[in-house]
Amino acid sequence: MTDCGCDKAKAELEEYIHNELTTGEAEDIAEHMATCVDCSGEHLVGLTLTAKVRKACNEKAPEDLRADVLLKLRQMEPSN
Amino acid sequence: MTMTAMQPPRATVDTLLGVEGVSLDGELHSLLMTTDAVQEPTPAEPQVDVRALFEDQAIQYMDQLYAAAMRMTRNPSDAADLVQETFVKAYQAFGQFQQGTNLKAWLYRIQTNTFINNYRKNQRNPYQGTIDDLEDWQLGNAESVTQSTSTRSAEAEAIDHLPDSAVKDALQSIPEDFRLAVYFADVEGFSYQEIADIMKTPVGTVMSRLHRGRRMLRELLADYARDRGISAAPATPKLSRSTK
Repeated sequence: MTDCGCDKAKAELEEYIHNELTTGEAEDIAEHMATCVDCSGEHLVGLTLTAKVRKACNEKAPEDLRADVLLKLRQMEPSN
Repeated sequence: MTMTAMQPPRATVDTLLGVEGVSLDGELHSLLMTTDAVQEPTPAEPQVDVRALFEDQAIQYMDQLYAAAMRMTRNPSDAADLVQETFVKAYQAFGQFQQGTNLKAWLYRIQTNTFINNYRKNQRNPYQGTIDDLEDWQLGNAESVTQSTSTRSAEAEAIDHLPDSAVKDALQSIPEDFRLAVYFADVEGFSYQEIADIMKTPVGTVMSRLHRGRRMLRELLADYARDRGISAAPATPKLSRSTK
């Protein structure tokens, strides 16, 4: 197998992180990162960013909103 | 939209009769039944309790829709209004939802549409309409950040240690289309194609918005960390701040 190289790995890193590559393409990137500290460092930053954003946006709707919505729905009839 | 929305739906009448049938006098009972019969001339239709189905399937996404609404409107009161409107529209259109397809994506499509039509035009957004056309240098980001490996692991560690509020502030400050692409991909885990459907834009545009949004976010968080002394990374030469 031939290493896909940093250029390809960096170009496709976002798609790799977001699971948008084919299995074959993803394997190529993973294989390159296994031996490239530079690209695996970029990968780590990317993953950390995703995890951080996900955690920060983990919000709960206010309880009165839930009650308001349920009340509103009960006053309506769905159009079928 | 028809005005049938204001009439009590059958399920409520049934429930009422079932629960409180004893307390209803015969006259009211027959009145309700008569009214019911007149309103529903096609009793052959399968009686599905649409409200129960909707409450069972859709309401569970309220927290997520609210979090997304916060990213869209950037304030709790508008976010609550947007979510309520989304559920009302979704309920009205629920008959058109194809069971077995992605309900969450369907709800997000409604919410994003509602936001764009009702809220966005009321908000100041200097970038609107042109943001995708801006060059990267105009967005204030270097195309590629050259740094050493040790700096990268330090950067990851610094990001990891930031407070959630810093991440939300940074998200709020990037252009809306970028922010939503990042939200849909990173928080909701939607595929590029699903995001393209929700935002009504080509997949290529989704990719571009996501990449640029994440790059801007990374820059902002790196700056924040450096300013707070959170990063272990050697700061790139900046203006030194006098403490006196």
